[in-house]
Amino acid sequence: MSQALTTAHSVVAPSPLSKRIAGAIVILYALVSMIPLAWILMTGFKTPPDSIAYPPKIVFAPSLEGYCNLFTTRTRQTQEYIQSLGPPQTICDEITRKRDMVIAGPSNYVPRFWNSLVIAFGSTFFAVSLGVLSAYAFSRFRIPLADDLLFFILSTRMMPPIAVAIPIYLMYRKLGLSDTALGMILLYTAVNVSLAVWLLKGFIDEIPREYEEAAMIDGYTRLHAFFKVVLPQAATGIAATAIFCLIFAWNEYAFAVLLTSGEAQTAPPFIPTIIGEGGMDWPAVGAGTTLFLVPLLVFTVLLRKHLLRGITFGAVRK
Amino acid sequence: MTMASTEEGTLRRITAPARTRRIRGLSDKAIAWAFIAPTMVLLLAINIFPLIWTIYLSFTNYQANRPNRPITYVGTKWYRDILGSPDVWAAMQATAHFVFWTILLQTLIGFGLAYLIDRKFRGHAFWTTIILVPMMLSPAVVGNFWKFLYQPQIGLFNSIVSFFTGIEPSSFEMLGSVNLSPWSIIIVDTWMWTPYVMLICLAGLRSIPDYIYEAAEVDRASLWRQFWSITLPMALPFIMLAVLFRGIENFKMFDMVNLLTGGGPGSTTEVASITLKREAFEKWRTGYSSAFAIILFVAVFGLANIYVKALNRVKQR
Amino acid sequence: MSDLLNRFMRFRRGPWENLATLVIAAGVLMLMQPLSLTLYTWSFATMLAGTVMFVIVSKFPE
Repeated sequence: MSQALTTAHSVVAPSPLSKRIAGAIVILYALVSMIPLAWILMTGFKTPPDSIAYPPKIVFAPSLEGYCNLFTTRTRQTQEYIQSLGPPQTICDEITRKRDMVIAGPSNYVPRFWNSLVIAFGSTFFAVSLGVLSAYAFSRFRIPLADDLLFFILSTRMMPPIAVAIPIYLMYRKLGLSDTALGMILLYTAVNVSLAVWLLKGFIDEIPREYEEAAMIDGYTRLHAFFKVVLPQAATGIAATAIFCLIFAWNEYAFAVLLTSGEAQTAPPFIPTIIGEGGMDWPAVGAGTTLFLVPLLVFTVLLRKHLLRGITFGAVRK
Repeated sequence: MTMASTEEGTLRRITAPARTRRIRGLSDKAIAWAFIAPTMVLLLAINIFPLIWTIYLSFTNYQANRPNRPITYVGTKWYRDILGSPDVWAAMQATAHFVFWTILLQTLIGFGLAYLIDRKFRGHAFWTTIILVPMMLSPAVVGNFWKFLYQPQIGLFNSIVSFFTGIEPSSFEMLGSVNLSPWSIIIVDTWMWTPYVMLICLAGLRSIPDYIYEAAEVDRASLWRQFWSITLPMALPFIMLAVLFRGIENFKMFDMVNLLTGGGPGSTTEVASITLKREAFEKWRTGYSSAFAIILFVAVFGLANIYVKALNRVKQR
Repeated sequence: MSDLLNRFMRFRRGPWENLATLVIAAGVLMLMQPLSLTLYTWSFATMLAGTVMFVIVSKFPE
């Protein structure tokens, strides 16, 4: 026994050296994979000339110009006109005037960001509501052809978005749903509900049937037991599922770019269209990207325990 | 406080039967169907009905930008056109190149990382979370930013390559050159999705019970042999799962490629989804693109069947 | 050989499902291979056949 301990092999009890080497390689990979994200963050705080400097600037004087440009539209004016205006009201006023421009109005970023929020939360709400009902039914009742129905539900998520977009485009045009938030919410609900059903079925499967059965012996109906016993028990699973749905709807691009163009456009198709004078305004793009990614970073941290489940449709649970 | 809550509990126990007797009568079967029906109706409306419509359109010469033109049947003309077209075949090969290399790189790097993380060095949980970040981000928004990283001269990517190799940073264009652009999308996809493969491989490695290694140790099997006869075979179902899913996802890859190269230069990175988008939403050949959509659909549907089979294999573990 | 034939003739799910999987995989490979246009032309029919077969044989008893 003591001999087994001293010659412990690498997998059950890795040697300190192999641990250290493994750690070093993994940390190196993690740091390298963070470079693009760090660059997005940094670019947001550069001035446009700094952002396109050669060689790329790692040390620079931070500026809010990117964020100002992200939220405003600007027009070029003569020096005399700018001097005829009063003193600058905001820091953005000041930055803009240094470039011989004045702020003409707000940009479309805020409305597009708002659209993303409305569509993401709306579709998540519906997907999780529908999903939890179906998941419960699949988990607790004998449903004829249950496996086929579940496969059908999953297969709808795997469809190539462009292939689905052709008939949806025609259908929405007929129904007057093109470029509306409602249309996008319905579409994202349909895509997300499959994930919701699969994930939630896994979570509900883990809740012992005895809980509801005990409640039903106490006189609860099946419906009551579902709302009073199963739903609270599944709260963590529902929250994790909701975050997965939010992430999908937040990140989705293919449907958004093909089916929305104005009113209901979300942030992902909008951000690549941010341009300044003479090409892309990279600091503004960096700023817009940063703000867009922050919620996702929060979600990643919240979800880290459930990620594996989410990406395998609930099949792998740890 | 405790008193009050237990009292409330008993109270509810007593009143519950009286309250619920009225709505009893909903049988389990009725509830089951009532719970499933909304999901099914939604999926039928948003997925199945459009699919059937696409099948119908794929046999017609309908054009979405000319809705008033009379629709005529063309039979299987579009299918024969697409399946005989060297251009579409080239697009499928561009897709194959992308799928093959992304999967190979992601599997090798992802499995390697998982194998190292499984040593459980200090802080491995924290660094695992850091590594996972890229896969949570929007491929479109981040892909768009990679366009900036890939700029010759001013881009960070070229500068880093130049720092390590000494090649002039303005001497190559990742996005503009026919030889390099297929690799530009492979690099971004690998950066983004290696964490995905890593996470699933890690689950596979962790599912191997310790006693198997202990038995191998007793048999004095070398580390090399342990890896090939225990670690790899037992993690294989998980690796297959990751490979299949990434394969399906990259087979239909659209957002990142559309923003990064848009299929260019020329048609070197024109993967299947980009071709489909060009036919459907730029040339407005709705009938033709419907047929192409059905072909891609069948491929994905077939692969999805295999994927679910792999999923069940992993589940039984 | 006859043993293999026997396994298929009993219409059990396992071997038939594996066969269907192979047909689908072959179809997808035919779709994306760079060698022969003829193989590419017939890829769709192969994938369709494999998928239909998979759906049917998944109804066979275990």
